[in-house]
Amino acid sequence: MFDDLDPEALYPPLPEPSELTRFFWEGVADRRLLILRCEACGFYVHWPRHVCPRCLSTSLGPAEVSGQATLVTWTFPSQPFDPYYQARVPYALAVVELVEQPGLRMVTDLVDYDKGALRIGLPLRATFREVAPRVVLPLFAPLPGA
Amino acid sequence: MTNRSNRVAVAGVGFSEVGRRLPHPDDELVRQAITAAMADGGMAPADIDGIATMGGNAMAMGQLLGIVPLDYFYSSTLLGPAFVEPAIMAISAVASGLCHTCVAVRLIRQFGGANRPPEPERARGPMRVAGDNQFSAPFGAGAAGATIGGFQMQRHMHQYGTTYEQFAANAVTARSHAALHPEAIFRDPLTVDDYLASRFVSEPLRLLDCDYPVDSAAAVIFTTPERAADRPHKPVLVEAYALSAIRDFDMSLIEDFTWNAPAHCAEALWSRTDLSPSDVDTAQLYDGFSVITFQWLEALGFCGRGEAGPFIAEGNTRLGGRLPLNTDGGACNFGRRHGANFCIEAVRQLRGEAGARQVPGAEVAVWTNAVGCFAGAVLLTAG
Repeated sequence: MFDDLDPEALYPPLPEPSELTRFFWEGVADRRLLILRCEACGFYVHWPRHVCPRCLSTSLGPAEVSGQATLVTWTFPSQPFDPYYQARVPYALAVVELVEQPGLRMVTDLVDYDKGALRIGLPLRATFREVAPRVVLPLFAPLPGA
Repeated sequence: MTNRSNRVAVAGVGFSEVGRRLPHPDDELVRQAITAAMADGGMAPADIDGIATMGGNAMAMGQLLGIVPLDYFYSSTLLGPAFVEPAIMAISAVASGLCHTCVAVRLIRQFGGANRPPEPERARGPMRVAGDNQFSAPFGAGAAGATIGGFQMQRHMHQYGTTYEQFAANAVTARSHAALHPEAIFRDPLTVDDYLASRFVSEPLRLLDCDYPVDSAAAVIFTTPERAADRPHKPVLVEAYALSAIRDFDMSLIEDFTWNAPAHCAEALWSRTDLSPSDVDTAQLYDGFSVITFQWLEALGFCGRGEAGPFIAEGNTRLGGRLPLNTDGGACNFGRRHGANFCIEAVRQLRGEAGARQVPGAEVAVWTNAVGCFAGAVLLTAG
């Protein structure tokens, strides 16, 4: 994955998926948000693990989630380590909580936001953006009218 | 040999040289710190039979300094609450009788951000990120100023109405303490306006909310009360200690950004002593980012949850206030010693050796480390 790159373009740090995580990035490439879910008790597990921490089952599989989320916290980094984000400061790095399960969180970036309107609990939805040639990331934008 | 009382005392403390990008190898900083602690405690290598460290390897340090054989050795993975982790390993090793005298070490060197050596320009193509970081680094996470400082400070401000002026009051207070400490790095007076003019590292986090990266090592020798008697300095006793980890070590995925490992740790600490927050004469609360200190003030019960901002702004944490806080000036002014400075400052306060910044009659001090996923705290008393 992430092999068809433009040598002239600047890229963010790119995932190096493992057998455990490949489903997530394949889903993102298809503009679908997939989260590992316990097939025994239904608990979502992110980041991916081989075992469900709620029931200790080892039967887990990807499940598509709605992309609906709320804003937990956010910040505007000024001194990122890598050149791609150095060229984009300040950007809105955020933690969002997916509506499917309390505490089910993702790290992401916010897009299409009004800085002054950001608040804890702001409703968001996933949006898949090509952030560099042929690289798509799941970002989040405020719900219209939120 | 057993430690019949299970009690533990501090016999000696010491720092290496401190500075930006020191030319010395790690071993030299370790040698300086442990030698200084031994000199402070009137001890020789033969008096020590345990080493616990974060940074470097305990067995190698034993070989380096002739502290062999070792009855106890502990080398941290680095994914833990900084100096308090090897310190509590040392304390618990002495308390259990596994060894009788253990030196705890924190070796720390500058890293990250603008201080990284320049990498060859895109010679290897984009950075590739495996493991859990593949779920954060592609979004521009990575700097602790963002994922610890920025995330937690934002949340504290939005949840509780904590203001920049209250964070400024904390920075001004810390600097006023540093001004009284001959070993502090930054000692010039600081104003609220200076704080408000300092640049954002990760808005809302400013430069003056951050510790100051340095190269240094620090060492603290823990031993039995019997062995700590008749030393050059008055012994300081360990009253209670607690470690806590509440989840995996990624700071961006903690459930509650304002109430996490310190809260769990503080509850454990107070459950192990008859003392209470009102008995504490001075607090040395970790400040890798200033909001961490705010959270510890609340977690330990020195003020109500969400009230650290007003508590600080009202002057309670100044020398002469109800709870003199971070009396060495803290990591923003004393350098990133990862909490070893706070252990050593607590010891100096309880010995009555803190000079112009001495808290009069200090008999009980608490020092803490870390936030978020993991934390540690130690309550010390004058012997």
